[in-house]
Amino acid sequence: MDRRDFIKTCGTVAVASMIDASFFSQALAQQKDGMFQAYKKALLVKQDGTPLKEEDIKPHASYIFFYPHASTPCYLLNLGEAVQPAEIKLKDGKSYQWGGGVGSKKSIVAYSAICAHQWSYPTPQYSFINYYPPDTPSETTKKAGIIQCCAHLALYDPKAGGSVIDGPADFPLASIVLQEEGGNFYAVGVLGRDQFQQFFDNYRTELRQQYGSTAKARELVDKCIVMEVDKYVQAVVRC
Amino acid sequence: MSKQWSGVNRRELIGGAVAFGLTAPLMAYAKLQKRQKAQVVVVGGGYGGVTTAKYLKKENPNLDVVLIEERPFFMSCPMSNHFLTGLMELTPLCFSYNVLETRYGVRVINDKILGVELDKKAVRTSSGYIAYDYLVLSPGIDYDVEDKPFYKDSLVYNPPAFKPGSEHIYLKRLIEDFEVGDILITVPPPPYRCPPAPYERAALIASMIKKNKLKAHIYFIDANERPIINSEGFLSAYYDLYKDIATYITSAQVRDIDVHKRMVKTSHGDFKYDLANIIPPMKANSLLEKTGLLRKGQKWVEVNPLTFESSVKNVFVIGDACQSYLPKSGYAAHSEGKMVAKIINARMKGKEVKEEYLQMICYAMVSDKEAIMTETAFRYDTVSKRFVPTHREDNQRKESTAKRYEEWARGLWRDLFS
Ligand SMILES: Cc1cc2nc3c(=O)[nH]c(=O)nc-3n(C[C@H](O)[C@H](O)[C@H](O)COP(=O)(O)OP(=O)(O)OC[C@H]3O[C@@H](n4cnc5c(N)ncnc54)[C@H](O)[C@@H]3O)c2cc1C
Ligand code: FES
Repeated sequence: MDRRDFIKTCGTVAVASMIDASFFSQALAQQKDGMFQAYKKALLVKQDGTPLKEEDIKPHASYIFFYPHASTPCYLLNLGEAVQPAEIKLKDGKSYQWGGGVGSKKSIVAYSAICAHQWSYPTPQYSFINYYPPDTPSETTKKAGIIQCCAHLALYDPKAGGSVIDGPADFPLASIVLQEEGGNFYAVGVLGRDQFQQFFDNYRTELRQQYGSTAKARELVDKCIVMEVDKYVQAVVRC
Repeated sequence: MSKQWSGVNRRELIGGAVAFGLTAPLMAYAKLQKRQKAQVVVVGGGYGGVTTAKYLKKENPNLDVVLIEERPFFMSCPMSNHFLTGLMELTPLCFSYNVLETRYGVRVINDKILGVELDKKAVRTSSGYIAYDYLVLSPGIDYDVEDKPFYKDSLVYNPPAFKPGSEHIYLKRLIEDFEVGDILITVPPPPYRCPPAPYERAALIASMIKKNKLKAHIYFIDANERPIINSEGFLSAYYDLYKDIATYITSAQVRDIDVHKRMVKTSHGDFKYDLANIIPPMKANSLLEKTGLLRKGQKWVEVNPLTFESSVKNVFVIGDACQSYLPKSGYAAHSEGKMVAKIINARMKGKEVKEEYLQMICYAMVSDKEAIMTETAFRYDTVSKRFVPTHREDNQRKESTAKRYEEWARGLWRDLFS
């Protein structure tokens, strides 16, 4: 085990105790091959600090929040219809169970917004990776209801656990496991191949500039402010 | 096979070297002795070679992979037109090979490859031989000027800047020093490295002239009938943005170059110039002729299109040097490198893989702020047993496409060097 793995494992053990027991009774705990990683349980809140409610998540709008680290961006989407659980198959033969949507209509999903291809991610200046609602198809690929990254045209299916529809990505987008409790939403962990290590390796300088230090950028969060993407990103680049 | 290779053991050789007082070569050779054999030798640390070496080790850290490259650091040709015209510094284009060594355990040898002895399964460098089980050759291009000697002087006076490195630095200096007069840019017939690159370069130089209000005119002399990619996008940009300062001459062949009189003779007349970027025809790197993989009269090495394996088993030729259905681009070389790494790793375990989807993306600037692009996805059709392309062009020049272009390149560099 190298140092990095060691730290990751310790981190996982340390935060596991903060996740409630009912969660572990679900299939997640049985995910094989380390495909599920529990992190701090974090409440999703609005910009005013009050808990985010289902009615705040408009169908097909794109919301951004940061989880499990202070700097790792995720998209929150209400897909407007029930999204069923699915088995997500990886190219290397491994697979994992994705739990589908949450909320009263089972329509709310969340994914890491770090592209699984070459780690493009939404910054305050640009987002090349974005959600295309059913009525706004991509000009290039003519596909709608997808998450598409304009850097090299990786296409992901938000209705199928972020799996790859087309393009150069080898892995699905990692999904953020959401839990609803008493009308509030919590992020509790990450399913699939997260790209966090590559993210931190690649963007050291940018993250230091934005967050002051790498340690700050890596801090695990217990609260996530959810905002509309174009409130965070200056230029949403669609293609 | 040379005597040095055959049957001389290490002690004898070191003894001999000391006797002749060759301490520096001795060190080089001593180093080489330890590196005498590798499971995979990768030749050329450009887009294709770096990808192959990294992905071989990433997928199988136990593999012994040696990458041999003559340049001390990697320089990207993609985005180099930005550098030439002042839109980008040189530093973001350059990367150290150290990362491959420290992070992935690739053994990087900074040396010139003098030849490959396929029968002995060994690569000859200036300090000795390295044997291999698998060989991946990605040495890029050479300028194809043997039968057109007039190009030779021009290569020195008018650097084409189609190979990574010093040519770009010199051409940038010439562009910076230029104040007034006629600029000549020539495009060779295909296939050459990066089909849109000359058209992008012409547009960016034109854009720079306009921005700096220089008293200059560009004669853009193309051996082809029209831009060979994104033709609509390039032509509308030339027409809309540069028609007052540039003349685009098509289907014109370069017949002679007089570097002292600063004159180029073409099939469409003679042109005097104050600054010239004469891009010569290209062929596979001459190293491949020496190996015998590039036969007389051939310009590119033929490979199996599914595996990029040459006519010699376990010897792969990727990147611009090979003849494939993919364009000669960094993105293609990168995809091929990933694919060949997978094939070699699988083959070592007695398995076969073949990638059935490949994709090409090309961006090109048409002004200092706007770009156009194309995407081609290739899917393997098992019935016709060939790759079927789906081609999409976005010829509308946009600032957002220029931003995507930058992100495209940065993504590739992240993938190569992190
Ligand atoms: C101006 C310009 C713009 C471009 N823009 C783009 C673009 O936007 N997008 C894109 O996809 N592609 C672009 N390209 C094309 C891209 O640069 C090439 O297709 C790519 O570099 C090919 O990779 P390669 O591995 O075949 O060769 P290279 O990247 O050239 O690598 C070959 C390496 O082998 C080394 N080598 C050769 N001979 C020896 C020897 N005997 N001993 C030791 N080392 C040796 C060389 O030093 C070199 O580093 C552009 C090219 C140019 C010139
Ligand atoms: S980084 Fe997103 S497609 Fe390449």
